[in-house]
Order: sequence, then structure tokens, then C-alpha cells
Amino acid sequence: MRIFVMWLALITVVMANAQPTFPYNGILPKDVTSVAFTHATIFTDYQTRMDEATLVIEKGRVVAVGKDIAIPANAVVMDMKGKFIYPSFIDLFCDYGLGEAAPTKATEPHQRMRGGSANETPKGAFGWNDAINADYSAAANFTCKEDAAKEMRGIGFGAVLTHKMDGIVRGSGALVTLGSEPNQSLLRPQASSHYSFNKGTSTTGYPSSLMGSIALLRQSYYDAQWYARGGANEERNLSLEAMNGLSGLPAFFDAGDKWNLFRADKVGDEFGVQYIMKTNGTEYQRMSEVAATHATLVVPLAFPEVYDVSDPYVSRLVGLDEMKHWEMAPSNCAMLAIQKIPFAITSHGLNERAQFWKNLRKAVKRGLSESDALKSLTATPAQLLNATSELGSLRAGSWANFFIASESIFNESAVMHENWVQGERFVIEAAKQIKLVGRYELKLPLHSYELKVKEVEGKTKASIQHVKAAKKDDGTAKNDTLNYNVNITMAGELLTISFEANDEYYSGVLRLAGDISDDRISWSGRAQDAAGNWMDWKALQMPKEEKIGDKKESGEKGKENETKEVLGEMIFPFTAYGMKEKPKAETVWIQNATVWTCESSGKIENGQVLMHNGKIVAVGKSLDASKYPQARIIDARGKHVTPGIIDEHSHIALASVNEGEQACSAEVEEARVVWPEDIDIYRQLSGGVTCSQLLHGSANPIGGQSALIKLHWGGNAEDMLVDNAPGFIKFALGENVKQSNWYNDGSRFPQTRMGVEQLYYDHFIRAREYAAAHMKSPVVSATNNKRNAAIVSPLIAPRVDLEMQTLNEILNHQRFVTCHSYVQSEINMLMHVADSMHFKLNTFTHILEGYKVADKMKAHGAGASSFSDWWAYKYEVKDAIPYNGALMWEQGITVAFNSDDAEMARRLNQEAAKAVKYGNVPEEEALKFVTLNPAKLLHIDNRTGSLAPGKDADVVIWSENPLCIYAKAEKTFVDGICYFDSERDAQMRKEMATERARLIQKMLSAKSAGEPTRTPGFKDKKHFHCDTLDQTSQGISFK
Amino acid sequence: MRTLLFTIALLVAACGYAQQNPTVAPKQSQSILIMNATAHVGNGGVIENAAIGFRDGKLDLVADGKLIRLAANAYDVTIDASGQQVYPGFIATNSTLGLNELDAIRQSSDFAETGAYKPGIRSAIAYNTDSEIIPTVRFNGVLMGQITPRGGVVSGTSCVMQFDAWNWEDALIKADDGIHLNWPSVFHKHYDKGKVSVEKVKTYDQQLREIQTFFNEARAYCAVKNAPLQELRFEGLRGVFSGSQKLYVHADDAKAIQEAINFKVSQQVQHMVIVGGYDAHLVADQLKQNDIPVLLRRVHELPMYAEDDVDLPYKLPALLHAAGVTFALQNEGDMERMGARNLPFYAGTAVAYGLPYEEAVRSLTQAPAKILGIDSRCGTLEVGKDATLFISKGDALDMRTNALTHAFIQGRSVLLRSKQTDLYEKYKQKYQGR
Repeated sequence: MRIFVMWLALITVVMANAQPTFPYNGILPKDVTSVAFTHATIFTDYQTRMDEATLVIEKGRVVAVGKDIAIPANAVVMDMKGKFIYPSFIDLFCDYGLGEAAPTKATEPHQRMRGGSANETPKGAFGWNDAINADYSAAANFTCKEDAAKEMRGIGFGAVLTHKMDGIVRGSGALVTLGSEPNQSLLRPQASSHYSFNKGTSTTGYPSSLMGSIALLRQSYYDAQWYARGGANEERNLSLEAMNGLSGLPAFFDAGDKWNLFRADKVGDEFGVQYIMKTNGTEYQRMSEVAATHATLVVPLAFPEVYDVSDPYVSRLVGLDEMKHWEMAPSNCAMLAIQKIPFAITSHGLNERAQFWKNLRKAVKRGLSESDALKSLTATPAQLLNATSELGSLRAGSWANFFIASESIFNESAVMHENWVQGERFVIEAAKQIKLVGRYELKLPLHSYELKVKEVEGKTKASIQHVKAAKKDDGTAKNDTLNYNVNITMAGELLTISFEANDEYYSGVLRLAGDISDDRISWSGRAQDAAGNWMDWKALQMPKEEKIGDKKESGEKGKENETKEVLGEMIFPFTAYGMKEKPKAETVWIQNATVWTCESSGKIENGQVLMHNGKIVAVGKSLDASKYPQARIIDARGKHVTPGIIDEHSHIALASVNEGEQACSAEVEEARVVWPEDIDIYRQLSGGVTCSQLLHGSANPIGGQSALIKLHWGGNAEDMLVDNAPGFIKFALGENVKQSNWYNDGSRFPQTRMGVEQLYYDHFIRAREYAAAHMKSPVVSATNNKRNAAIVSPLIAPRVDLEMQTLNEILNHQRFVTCHSYVQSEINMLMHVADSMHFKLNTFTHILEGYKVADKMKAHGAGASSFSDWWAYKYEVKDAIPYNGALMWEQGITVAFNSDDAEMARRLNQEAAKAVKYGNVPEEEALKFVTLNPAKLLHIDNRTGSLAPGKDADVVIWSENPLCIYAKAEKTFVDGICYFDSERDAQMRKEMATERARLIQKMLSAKSAGEPTRTPGFKDKKHFHCDTLDQTSQGISFK
Repeated sequence: MRTLLFTIALLVAACGYAQQNPTVAPKQSQSILIMNATAHVGNGGVIENAAIGFRDGKLDLVADGKLIRLAANAYDVTIDASGQQVYPGFIATNSTLGLNELDAIRQSSDFAETGAYKPGIRSAIAYNTDSEIIPTVRFNGVLMGQITPRGGVVSGTSCVMQFDAWNWEDALIKADDGIHLNWPSVFHKHYDKGKVSVEKVKTYDQQLREIQTFFNEARAYCAVKNAPLQELRFEGLRGVFSGSQKLYVHADDAKAIQEAINFKVSQQVQHMVIVGGYDAHLVADQLKQNDIPVLLRRVHELPMYAEDDVDLPYKLPALLHAAGVTFALQNEGDMERMGARNLPFYAGTAVAYGLPYEEAVRSLTQAPAKILGIDSRCGTLEVGKDATLFISKGDALDMRTNALTHAFIQGRSVLLRSKQTDLYEKYKQKYQGR
């Protein structure tokens, strides 16, 4: 008790004298003493524990730490016997001291365009896009915020890296402590640079999509390079200047979702930047990919709350992925540590800071070692900021940033007493933290009672259970059990206890007063009985009981359960129909099937297909498979085998589809936003689809670059993207690009088909000029990020312009065009544009009036990828006819039928059959509409689209003629890997149901154990069509 | 002169493909006999080598051709349909055909009146017999439809039309067959920043109380016999309470369907039909006990939940059939009007996923006829019924073989031409001429 009193008497060191430039009103206090903390258990760093050690601090810094340290004469000595001292924690992800993100200034989107625009809002010599806030300085906006600091200190933090969480380039972050004087707290004004894919409060219209954000970030890096090498002579741009000022600082990327982490890493690789990634705690779902980025992570401790799944109907809203994530999230840190992926932990994202320790201890229970936990909060963040000599450990010269705890901080019962920041002392309301909970032997002169104290809803409840031996009546002992309610109140360190006894030792109300021993395991004082007699009393804490009494109250039961906790298995992808193991390419020998080769060999009755190592080895009547004795033989008697279906126009597996803010968005790439967890991938495999071209939307005449994927369910984006796939880009004509069906009149050029033509000419002419300028100048390597502003050559290399680069790829026949088109006039027009610019339009997609200009298309050399029978959904499709495909095919055009629709895509075989119905296309030719012909249009017919030796083993086994409505895909192979198998599918449904049932039971027990719950509500995915605008899909995929 | 002649020739040619809807077929004047076809009766039965005769718009012979002997001149016209299939005309239920021409063109839209409670709104009078979409639906065998208003809480009154008529009065098979009630959603989708979250609707209970209040008041109003016309909204529900009209409740979620069933009992609604019914198979017993059929949502649809069987929408018809629930197919949703011609293929997919073939035929013929209350006239190939039927060269439920040679509505031989076939012929000529 004395120690406590002494502590409270100690006056907080005044820091005023540390600000010599400030005038002082009064007699200047000086910091002329040191403080020695003796007999403590000190963690000098995350892995070094010293018992009975001393820590000496002076003028805010550590002077000495260790055993047998000489205590300076001027030291105030604090006896820390039994206490634990830790270096305080560092949080790398917060906006402490900066206030809220600035509210949106204007409601109208604006961007600064050359030539002016109706929405232009001038704002000085900065860059054109408000999402590039490179010039923002956290240091310049920093001030101490006591409320926020107090919260953070209360859980052990002493320093933070603060930045403004707004925009794509977020400027510089500042390293500050959680002290009370800004001039002391601000340790390093330019400590870091910060980035994200989220445009935040920017009112600039562009970017309106994730891929737009990626493109803008990349373009900004290129612009900054150009600026540094001399662009400044052409244009003064404070944003780019600031961007260059950020180079070399530790770069933090607010990635969130795991897929965004990989996307950001790819951008970093391009510019020689290794980002430190702030994640959202789902990394465990893609561990090997995370490791491959070599990024250090900043990982949140926010775990999802348990869903209330008591209603069986409503619980359907909770996806398997969400259920499994609820279970797995606390294991994330442990799994990262096992993989040796370096990470720091942030407290950001917790609903309340009080969850921090609860969750950290949970993570430790799941296998995170205590030293790794400490490391992620001290050494790792300090190292990332190159501040190891100052923060993150207690060594001579480092800041006196540490906290004092009652015991090992990982014990549930540990209490944090104080947090010292740069030698400034902050007491963490000690009284509140004294927990009386436990079992005590209450010793009174006549008897010792067993006193149980528990906490119910924040209130202390105590009781005594006394077994009164009853006098034997019939020879057997009959005991009466008596329950006494006990009132306990605590004021400061003083206790008042009363209860009414009624037994063989005492009767009437006993009143006790006393205080708590320093080690808090015993209480003692004086008591008065009902008769007014004074006596001594004592209460000693008893060991935790194992068998009797209410165990539930203490949380001990939960702990025991959790050590034995069974966790579900990892699945790939982490969603419904995910697989426990990634399937491998098989050697398969299909026999006795009707084989539709889509080659000159036509349809082979009683045919065979042999595939090995992802390729088709042979196709024919009777094959020699002696080389492959291990081949799995599939007897496909009565069944049909076809090439995998290729969907030329799809929007599945994408996190973002339309960057429609500007009339040309050639710089954006769908390949960067492939989303491998889309359930529609699996659903389409079940319909025989093996390959899809993922197209940009149709909101602008020049859209974005397409992605070509094979449906490698369970793989990552790179696994799905077809290697060395020919590049494609989406163009669009008609109502969508002229914004005809918008609610309000559009203002973006063009608003008529006439304007569309001009726009194409303008862009291609600019592209030519761009190419010409680059021919004259020194070549700028795309990966060269070394800037040397000192050498300004009179002829500096021009800007790398991603948009113009892409257009030049078209002009140079390195990139092919898929053009969304409907009416004949515009189709004709675009062919003229292309002819005059000497390139070819590869594919017209939709092309519902293609039948009117099939001859012209044939002459130009364009292919067609159309809908089988869509029409009447808008004015420009009023003349669409289902015979379109047949008419174009008759004119010798390569015709495909595509989906542009996640549902129809899994029945493309039926759509092909409509070419038979409408226009009598022969069946084998009709099947080519969804196999070989799209392969030709995509320039991949050399590797897929038909069944021929050497081609990719993209093969489907159908229950019947694939053009028949009754046909079902039974097995779908992609590169020889069987991703859909109707029998395995049935098995997976059962397993999924079992896994859900297990998790639901677990959630229900968690709920009844009192964990806070949340109402189910599932995050559906958006099914994209090509006129879907993801205006607000800022950066985030759907989970 | 030569130029003029040439111009005239051109005009004549152009008139050949006028791109107007074909002329409405005149009343049946000659009796017709279809021989040797496989007849799908619509009630689950099949007759091989059928003889099907009709005169004055009504069927007067449906028999096994081998078992009957006809006088040579028994019918004016005989169609030999050897190897072909005959079906009763398919019925598109819960359809907006004729109420909108081009989705994006607001001016062409007439299916959703503004306001919440409007039982008196009647689809019949807005039905456009000259819609260019209707002939394109007809040529795949869809010859009748329930034309249904949409929107609000009580959308209005539907009617049943046949698809070859001069005007809406001619088209009517049954006026005002039922009232459509959109059950409040238990969940709603919320779009924010590209994420779609589905949440429980907080006002669900309140919306439900509103509906109950409206029906309570309407029921009290309708209890007064021969009262003067006062409240149009309440008046519109009179048929629901008297039993002359059905109450179509649009609901998908199990809870909503369950509550709709309770509503039927508490409001003493005599005939209720569930429209949508994604979860109907989960509450099949209750539906059966309360004699409530289902107009089932699209078969060609994605599952609602990622964990659902990937083929759940495909097999819902088979599940309902196995559970003994009466159901018909419909296709409300995106592009539903032009997509109505794919209804036969919905039935085909249902067969692929477990529904017996003749049951699939029934789900487009007898079942909808019964649900709509027109089964005394339509829905099956039975003597005395309307001669509304078609002949297809092959299996009409499979797009590969669905190819109509004849279609008859009330005995009238309907032209299978359409704007789309006209454009096809026109451009075939363009390329043949080269």
C-alpha cells in the first residue's frame, strides 16, 4: 500500500523546460532528476527478459537498464517489485492528431482538364487529380489529441505513425509519440509516404474504378519521373514535386483485401518500390502469394463478431467464407509467423480499443508466440521506420517509452498500471483495474468462510456458501447449505464488506473494513459483529478451483475449450465450393464417346481423347496409349466430348468493369483486377466454360484493356491469366458511349454518333504524334525509376503516357480491338476509321445489326461475337434478329456467340444451338460458335478451341449432344485439370453442408457464451454486364 | 418509264417484307384434321399417331389415329404431321408482353403504375396487340399469356390474352383474372461502393401491418352488399374476397411465403397463388395443405446464394413436382418480354434436371391454365376445348428441334411471320442478289 501512495505523490515530470524557445510564465521548472525503476521484470526488447532489473531514465530517455545498475544520486526510486516493464508499442496505421478526413468540398465532380471544362474548379499549381495528395504533410497538420492518445496509451502504445487516410497518394506521414506536447511528440516530420487504391474524398470524377485507381497511380509515378528529369521546365506542378519528395521514404500501402495487396505489389515492382502493406486480416487465405510479395505487413487485430445464426432461414445470408473467416481470423497472425512473413500489428479497425488485448491474447492462444506478438508491436515497426535506436526497445539512449504491468501482459488477469511516454508519466486509472474476482478464504476468529467474488455485467457480486452440519436425525448426516449474499464496495484501495450470517459460528450482519495488499492476493482489516465486538479479519486468495463451483464466470472454461479448439480446413478459393486441395493435371483417356473435334476430322463416333500433362496427346478412333499406363480411363459410352467453351465476352471474375469517367480509358487494365473468388467461375465450369475474355465495359468509346483467363478455380489471378495472351482492348459505340440512357443528360463528349467518329480520329492522331515524339527522344525505360533532376538535357524524354502507349499498340497491330456495336451506320464508320489508320478491327461484339453489313465486315476482315437472340432492350437493338449469327456466318465471317451475362454463360452450348434453330447452321458449325470461333477471334486457336494433338486439354464431357437442351456438362477439364466433376460436386455439396452445420453450432455456442453478435447480412456480388457502371466500386472487391 | 417500273418493282418487293406484324388470322372456316403426330395432351398424357380435329375454333376429335376410322371428307383440311409433335399452346404467366416495347424507352412502357395500393389498375386496357415482340414469341409456341401489371404493393389486375388479335377486347381469354400483391421483401439489397450487401428490411413488420390494415378495411367495405361505388381501391379487391379472382402473392423467401399462407387464412382469401417461390420447395407441405400453386421464377437463373446447389434454379421444378406442389413456369426479370420465347426451353432444362417430360409440358399448358382459371377452355388437347395448339417438327422444349410449322389460336391458323423473320428474308435477299 505504501508504494501506491508514494506513486501517487510523485509529481509528473514537467516537460516545459524541454522547449527552450518558448517563453514561460512563472518560475521555470527544470527537469533535474532522474527516475529509477527497481526490482522489475523488464523486457528490454521483445525477446530479452531481465528479472530483478533496474531501469533509469532521465530527460525523457533511457539512461541505463539492466541488473546491478548504479542508481544515480538524483534519482527518484520506484520499487517495481513484482511488476513487469515493457517497451511501449508502436502503431503504424492511424491518423492520430490529424482530425477527420476533410469533408467533400464540392458535390459536383470536377477535374482540371486542358481546354477547360464546365466542372473545373481552379485550386492553384497542383496536379489535375485531387486523389493525388502528395503535397499533404501529416507533420504540418499534427497536434496532440489527449482523448485519442489516452485510449492508445491505455492499451500500451507510446508512439504512432500518423497519416491522412484520404486519397490514392496520401502524402507524408509523421512519427509522433503519444505525449502531451506537440513540439516534443513530433519525432520525425517526414517519416513515411502513404498510398492506396481508394480515391477517398476526391471530387475529381476520375478514377471511378479500381483499375482506374491503379492506372492513375502508375501514371503519377511516370509523371513524377518526367517532372524530375526536366518536365518542371514545361509545367510547374507542386503535386509532382511533392511526389518526388516522398521517394526514398518507407512507403505504406493501405491495401486492405488480400487481392489488392497483390495488385499493389505489382505496381510497386514496376517502380522499384517495396510497399509495406496494411491488410485486412485475410492474408492467411493466400499465404504463399503473400509470402511471394516479400512485403512486410501491417495487420489489424479486428476479428469479425459472431453472426446470430439462430434462424435457419436467415442464417443462409451468412456465406461459408464469412463463417470460416469468423473462425480463422484470430489465427492469421500465428499463421503469418509460422510462414516467417514479417508483420507489424495495428490497433486500427477495432470497434473499441478495449478489444485489443482480448484479441491479442486470442491470437496468442492460436499459436502466436508471445515474443512474436511483442516483436510485431515494437521491433518490427521500429525497424520499418529505421527508428530502432529510439523506439521499440529499452536501451541507453532510446526514448523512455514503456509501460508497467502487474504481471506478464499476456495473462488474462494482467493489469496495466502506467504508460510513460518520453519520460512523461501517465497513470492508467489504477483503481478501476483492481479486479477482486476470485475465490478467497475469509478468516474470522471463529471460522473461515469461502468467499467467491465474480463480476456480472460490470458489477461485483460476492457470495458465501456455508455448509451447516445438521444434527443427525436418523443416523445419516444431513447438511444444510446456506447462501449468504455479500456486499463488497471498494473506494480507492479501501474495502467495505458486509453479509448476514446465520450459522453455528456467527449470526447477524458482520461488517468488515480493510485494504488490499500490494500484491493483491490478500485483504486484511478490522471487523465488527452483530453484537458490536471488534475483531481482525483476513482474506487470502485461493488457487483457482478445478472441479467445483461456477466455472463459467471466469472465462476459464472458454480458455480450456479454445486450446482444444478444432478449426476447419483451408479451402481454395476461400468461398463456397472451394477445394481442400488444388487439383492437378491428370492423364486421362476418354473412350467410347462421340467426339466433336471442331477440326476437319469432324465428329468421331466411338471416339477417344487422350490427354497428358495439360495437353491433348491424341484424338481418334482407337489410340495407342501404351506410353501412359497410368492414364485414368473414362468410359464415356453414350456421352459427348467437346472442346471447352470459350466465352468471348464476359464480366465474371472481376473486381471492377467500367472506368467510364473519361471518353478514353485505354490505360486501364482488367488483368489487374481479376477476382479469383467469384462463385460464377465455378458455376460456369459446371456449364463447360474453360476460358473467358474479361472485357472492360462500354461506357466510353475507347475502353480498357481486356483480360483473358482460363477458369483455374482455386488459383490466383496469375494462375488464371493466360500466359502470353494476345492483348485486346474494348471499344464501344452507340447509346452507351453517348450516354443516351442516362437519367440526366450527359455532358461528356461525345453525345452523338457523329462525335464518336471525331473522338477516334483525335485520339489516334495524338497517339501517332506521341510515338513520333518518343522516336526522337532518348528512350525511357518503363522500369527506370532513378531520377536525376540535376541533369536537364535540352531534349528531355517525353512523358510516358499509358493511354497513348496503348493506342500505339493498336496502331502497331500489337493489340486487338473488340468493339461493342449495334447499328450498321456506326459499324461502317469505325471500319473506315480503322482503314484510314491502317489497323484492323478484330471483333465486333454484340454486333446485332452485323447481318446488315456482313459483306463490309467480311471485306474489312472483322469477326463477330454476338448474342444468339437478344433484342428489344433499347432503341438501337430494335432491328436485332436471332438469324444474325447465321447470316454473318453464311457471309464467311468468323462468328461467335457470347454471354455478357453470368447466368447465360453457363448455357452457351444452348445458345450455340440457337444458330441451328434460327438459320439452320449445321450442328458442328454451330458448336464452333462457342469453341473454335471465339478462339480464333482471340488469336488463341493455336492452343485451344478444338480437340487436336498438342492443344491445351480444355475438354468437356457432356451427358448428351451438347446442342441439346438436355445435355449436362459432367466433367470440365482446363489444361488437363478436372475442375468440375458432377460426382465430386455432389460430394462437395455434402461436405459444405457439414462444414456449415459445424460452424453454425460453434457460432451458437459462442453466442450463448455471451459474445457480442451481429445480424446476418451477406455481401452479394454484383453481376456485371457491359453497361454496369461501378462508379462507386472504389477499389474493393466484394468481400 | 423504265425507272418508274423499277421503282414499282422495288416497292412491291419491299411490301413483301413489310416489317409489320402479320395480319390477324380470320375465324376458322374450314375444319382441320392433324394426322399422325405425337400429341402431348398437356395433362401428362401422350398420344402417338394422334388424330386431332377441330372446327369452329373447338377441338372435336382427339384420339389415337389407329383406333378410329374417319370418313374421307370428315374434315375440310388434313395436315399430315408424321414424325412431328403437337402441343397445346404454351402459356406465359406473369408476363408484361404488350405492356412495353423497348426496355430502355420509357415512352413505350405501361406496366408499372405509380402508387402503392392500386388493385383497380387493369392491364387489359393497356395491352398492345400490335407489339412487334408478340409474333416473335408466338413462333416458338407461346400462344397465350397472363398480362400482369407490376410495381407498388398491390400492382393491379392481370388478365389472360391470346396472342393473335386486332385489339385487346378480341385478345381477352379472361379479363381481370386476379390481383397482384408484392409481399414486402424480408431482405433488401443495398449497393454501396461496389459492395452489395443484403440486409433484413427493418420496416418489414410495418409494411406487413399496412397490408393487413388495407385488406381489413377493404374486406369490411366489401362486406356491404349492393353498396354504391365509393372507394375504388377497396372495390378492386371485391373479387378476391368473393373468390371470383385469385390473389397472386409475389414472394420468394421462405418466411415471406409462410406469412403469405397465414395471410390467406386470416384474410379468408379463397384462391392464392405464389409468384416467384425460390424457397417454395422449403415450405412445400404448407403450400400443398393450403392448396396454393406456384408461378415459379426463372429456371434459367443463377442461384441466390453462393452455397446453393449450382443447379438449384434448374431443378426447382423437379423439386416442386416431387413435393406435389402445382406449378407453372414464368420468366419475370431482365429482358422478359423478348425472352418469353425461351419459356419452352426453361421447361426443357427442367426435364434435364429431373422433371418428367410430360410434366414439363404440363407446366406450360394445363398447370398455368388451371392456376389462371381458364382450364375449362385452354391448356389441354381435349374435345371441347379451344383449338389453341401448334405443330413442331421436333421436340418443342429443345431449341435444337423447336421448329413450328403451324400454330392455331382458337382454330385460326396463325401466321408465324414476324418483323424478325421479315428482316431475315430481306437481308437474305441482299446477299443472294450479290
